[in-house]
Amino acid sequence: MSSKPQALTSIGPMRAFAANSKKIAVELIEINENLLGFNQYITEYYKQLSETWGVAQKKVNQKAPKIPQDVEQIEATKRIWIDIFDNDFTELFDSKKFGENYGNLVSKELELTKHWNNITNVILQSVNLPSKEEVDEVYKEIHSLKKRVSKLELELKKEKRKNAK
Amino acid sequence: MQNESTIDPKIIEEVLKFSRNVIEAPKFVSAPDEINLEVTPHKVVQQIDKTRLLHYKPISGTKHKTPLLISYALINRYHILDIHPEKSWVRNLLEQGFEVYMLDWGTPTSMDKYLDFDDYVNGYLESSVEYIKNQSSTEQISLQGYCTGATIATAYTALYPENVKNYIATAPVIDGWKDTTVISNLAKHMDADKMVETIGNMPPEFMYYCFSVLKPFEQGIEKYVKFFKNIDDKKYVDNFLRVEKWLGDTPPIPGELFKQWIKDIYQQNLLIQNKMHVGDELIDLKKIDMPVFTQVAVGDHLVSPECSMPLHYAVGSKDKTLKIYPTGHVGMIASSLSQKKVLPEMGAWLAERS
Repeated sequence: MSSKPQALTSIGPMRAFAANSKKIAVELIEINENLLGFNQYITEYYKQLSETWGVAQKKVNQKAPKIPQDVEQIEATKRIWIDIFDNDFTELFDSKKFGENYGNLVSKELELTKHWNNITNVILQSVNLPSKEEVDEVYKEIHSLKKRVSKLELELKKEKRKNAK
Repeated sequence: MQNESTIDPKIIEEVLKFSRNVIEAPKFVSAPDEINLEVTPHKVVQQIDKTRLLHYKPISGTKHKTPLLISYALINRYHILDIHPEKSWVRNLLEQGFEVYMLDWGTPTSMDKYLDFDDYVNGYLESSVEYIKNQSSTEQISLQGYCTGATIATAYTALYPENVKNYIATAPVIDGWKDTTVISNLAKHMDADKMVETIGNMPPEFMYYCFSVLKPFEQGIEKYVKFFKNIDDKKYVDNFLRVEKWLGDTPPIPGELFKQWIKDIYQQNLLIQNKMHVGDELIDLKKIDMPVFTQVAVGDHLVSPECSMPLHYAVGSKDKTLKIYPTGHVGMIASSLSQKKVLPEMGAWLAERS
C-alpha cells in the first residue's frame, strides 16, 4: 500500500507539509469569502461619506456667496463650509446606520486578521515555534501569577502597617 | 470692461503670506523629540509593572494635610495635566499648596492583554493609595479621576470609601447609554470580544480613528490652517506642538480592560445601575459617601455631560457639588479657563475639606 505514489503524502515529513498546505488553502478560501463581506461594508462606508459630502456641499452652495470678493468673504465662506461639514458629518457618525455598518466593517476586518493569524500559526508550528494561542496561555499564566504576588505583597504591607501602629 | 471681475489685492497678499509661512515653518518648529512634556519636577516613587507613581515637588510649601492622587485617563498620557507651565493643572494645584501624586498607567505591551479593571482598581490604584498613606502618615487621601481614569477612580472609591477623604470626578465616563458622543456610538456597535480575541490590546490606530471623526473639518483642516497662519507666534507654536505631541502619544489599552469598559459601560451600562463587578466585587455607587466634586464641560465631545452628570445623583454623599463649565474635554483641564476658573473653584472646595 505504502508503495503507491499517492500514499507518499501520508507518511514522514510530506504528511505534515500536505496537512499544512491544506490548512492554509482552507484559510485562503475563507479569506476570499470574508473579503466579499468586507467589500460590501466598505462600499457602504464610502457611500455614506460621499452622500453626506454631497448634501453638505449643496447646503454650503445655498448659504455662501458664489465667488468671494475679498478676504472677509473668503473667511466667512470657509467658516460656513467648516460648520456645515462638521455638523453633517457628526450627524452621520452619530447615526445608527453608520455605527452598525462601521461595527460590521471592523468585525469583517478582524475576521480577515484572524485568518491571517491562523496561517501564521501553521507556519510557526511547522518550524517548531509556539503558536499565538500557546503564547497567550503563557501570558495568561504570567498575569495570574503576578496578580497573586501583587495581592500578597499588598496584604503584607497593610499587615506591617497595622502592626507598626 | 466694467463687467470684468477684480481680485482684491489683499487676497493675493494673504495667499502669498500663507505660502511663505508653510515654506518657512520648518525653521520655527521643533522636532517632537525636542519637546519635553514633563514640565513640573517630580520623582518616580513607586513602579509596579509598567505603571509609575509620580510625586511632584512642592512649589509653595504644602498647606493642606491630605495628599491628592490623580488617576489619569486610559487614552493618551497624563502629560496633558502638565502640558505647559502656564496651563499646568498639576502646577496650579502645587501653587495652591496641595501635595500632588499622579498615577502614570504606562504603555502596555502584548504581554499585558489580560490586565483588567481588577488589576487597575484593586492592584495599581490600591497600591498607590497605600504607598501615599504610608508616606504621609494619613489614613485617607483625596482622589481625582479624569475621563476614563475617573471610571477607575469611581470604582475604587466605591470599593474603598474608607481610604478616600474627598473625591473629584472630572468628565467621568459613567452612564454609557446617555453618552451622546460619536465615540459612544462606535463603542455601542463594536464587537469587543472579537477585537480582543483577535488582536489582543486595543491598538492606538483605532483611537486615532476615533479622534479623526470628532469635528473632522475643524480639527483636521482649520486647526492646521490656523497653525500656519500663526507660525511667527512662538508661544502659539509651542503650545500647538505640545498638544500635538500629546495627541500623537496614544498607548494601547489592555485587551481585557478595554473589553470590560466597552461592554460594561457603553453596551450594558452596568456601572450606573450598580451592577458592574470589579474582580468579584460589586460596585455600588451609593457606598461613595465622602464629599464629591463633579466637573463637566458643556462642549465635551468625548464624554458628554449627560454621561458624566449621573454620578452626582447616584453617589450616597450628602456633601456633593456639580460644576458645569463652558468649555470642552481638554479645555477643562489645560486652558486659561481651567487656570482662572476650574482650578481655583476646585482648589477652594478641596482646601475646605483637606
